[in-house]
Amino acid sequence: MDKSIQNNRAWLGVLPVLLVVAFSAVVPLMTVVNYSVQDILDVNTRFFVGFDWYRETLADPRLQSALIRQLGFSAIVLLIEIPLGIVIALALPRDGPLTASLLLLFAVPLLIPWNVVGTIWQIFARGDIGLLGVALGEIGIVFNYAADPAHAWITLVAMDIWHWTSLVVLLAFAGLSSIAPAYYQAAALDGASRLQVFRYIELPKLRGVLTIAVLLRLMDSLMIYTEPFVLTGGGPGNSTTFLSQYLATKAVGQFDLGPAAAFSVIYFLVVLLLCWIFYTSVVRKKAADDV
Amino acid sequence: MAEIVLENVSYTYPGESAPTLAGLNLTIEHGRAHALLGASGAGKTTMLNLLSGLLHPSSGRILFDGVDVSLLDARARDVALVFQFPVLYESLSVIENLVFPLMNRGWQRTDAVSRAVEISTELGIEGIHDAKPAVLSLFQKQLVAIGKSLMRDDVDLVLLDEPLTAVEPSIKWRLRQTLTRLQQSHGLTMVYVTHDQTEALTFAEEVSVMARGTILQTGKPVDIFQSPNCRFVGHFIGSPGMQFVDCDVADRTARLTGHNSDEVAVALDLPNGHYQLGARVEWVRVRREPGSWQVQGSTILGTEVGEARVLLTLTMGDQKLQAQATGKWSVGDNVNVIFDRFILFDDEKAVVNG
Repeated sequence: MDKSIQNNRAWLGVLPVLLVVAFSAVVPLMTVVNYSVQDILDVNTRFFVGFDWYRETLADPRLQSALIRQLGFSAIVLLIEIPLGIVIALALPRDGPLTASLLLLFAVPLLIPWNVVGTIWQIFARGDIGLLGVALGEIGIVFNYAADPAHAWITLVAMDIWHWTSLVVLLAFAGLSSIAPAYYQAAALDGASRLQVFRYIELPKLRGVLTIAVLLRLMDSLMIYTEPFVLTGGGPGNSTTFLSQYLATKAVGQFDLGPAAAFSVIYFLVVLLLCWIFYTSVVRKKAADDV
Repeated sequence: MAEIVLENVSYTYPGESAPTLAGLNLTIEHGRAHALLGASGAGKTTMLNLLSGLLHPSSGRILFDGVDVSLLDARARDVALVFQFPVLYESLSVIENLVFPLMNRGWQRTDAVSRAVEISTELGIEGIHDAKPAVLSLFQKQLVAIGKSLMRDDVDLVLLDEPLTAVEPSIKWRLRQTLTRLQQSHGLTMVYVTHDQTEALTFAEEVSVMARGTILQTGKPVDIFQSPNCRFVGHFIGSPGMQFVDCDVADRTARLTGHNSDEVAVALDLPNGHYQLGARVEWVRVRREPGSWQVQGSTILGTEVGEARVLLTLTMGDQKLQAQATGKWSVGDNVNVIFDRFILFDDEKAVVNG
């Protein structure tokens, strides 16, 4: 009996963390949930509207198209960044005088503030003064990301690859470095080809870090806001308006707190759902493989 | 399988001034189990990498059946290697791991699979063909790794780099027996690297003792034990190792250094001078008669026909010797010592085997 009392008292030790988490995460999140079921006219006047905002938000064609654009964008950048990151990591010298400086160089884009990244590319791609824009103009391609949706997308995707491939490179490099030389030696003695070495040694050993890399990039790309906001402002038209930007327009621009809150909850669930699907499928696959 | 010859092989790691291996000469006959025995840092693994083709000698030649393979890399040599820890393809099942080296060399799948069944039956792992390495015990994984090294029937040489390090002591002997059986039944030329002398001396038909980048002595286990060619080998092999006492040779007669001592050997063909006499504990006989040695202590080892068998520690001046004897001995007894067998060492090398 004494023992169980003591055990229960230990929970008090968790209390400070609980308070911090509640204050910083649970309460704000629940406030949003609270807003999402009310129509708020002013500070004192509010009505309970149930799931009306959810129905309205889900039926909003602008949200649907933003969601489709969002999924398209995430899919494109992931499909390019993950393989590209692996290829670069494989090409890096495993150790040597160059390795440290190359890794440092790759880390640079990760250290630049996101709005600066947006600004860099906004200037870089401009047709009148930007290095890329002018260069493309010189070889006969009129590049205008402010007017042509395709150009805007190309610029955004290129920017995201420039910004985030390094993360995959660093993670994959760490994974590759942890492979014991004996595995490569065994493969050489077994007469394995370079492709087989990748397929049967490197890829299985990279599984853990690649899971992390995909998860991080998936979450981040689904939440992308700053860079397109600075670069294209969601335009031309709505062609590069992704979920978070549409949300900001609703919540901050139009001050539609109820619909914006419902949107936030849906957005949160979409990100959570996609990450959960990916993660459980990887874990299940691993469990199935190991049997 | 092939006869392996090393001719004056040296290896220096890039960027280092001193060679890791210097002037190695060794012949391993076809179908022999050969052990490379040495402490860590002796150059065993470097030697193994030279044999497998993962490294190439800085000078000297390596011959497989008379063919110079010094500059061939691992892929081009017909060598199999078992590492200290099991190295398997984790995403492939056991059977796929086993057939992997064969498929890469253009075997028919049915032939490769039947070979895998044959080998895994001998190793007792035929029941886990479809399992992935992740679910196997360390012991099973190492068995699979050994099986993989035995798959190719055309290898010149099977190399084992301390393959039992990762295996529990209780099953070590089982795996060692299995290895010996396979080596004999397949007539494999095997090189077994280890720092464990029990492993080396029980597994191999021939042992090379390595230290500081050279092979000190190569021979049958019994010869290495009985007739070490230098003090290092004498001390390194056996537990306890060989013990040494100072002795002087004058007029072709050897006497232990110290007052009053009896002659140990006469009619030696040696110049006068200072030598070291090496003897194993079991070569030393103690006599209950007044002599120049004094009993300093005794430890009971067991009993033998009613009498205690003891390990005596004897001293003469600052010289020390251990010997086995029976009966009761008191500290302070003066005794005499006879060497049933001894080896005289000149500085480092053995000069007289008596």
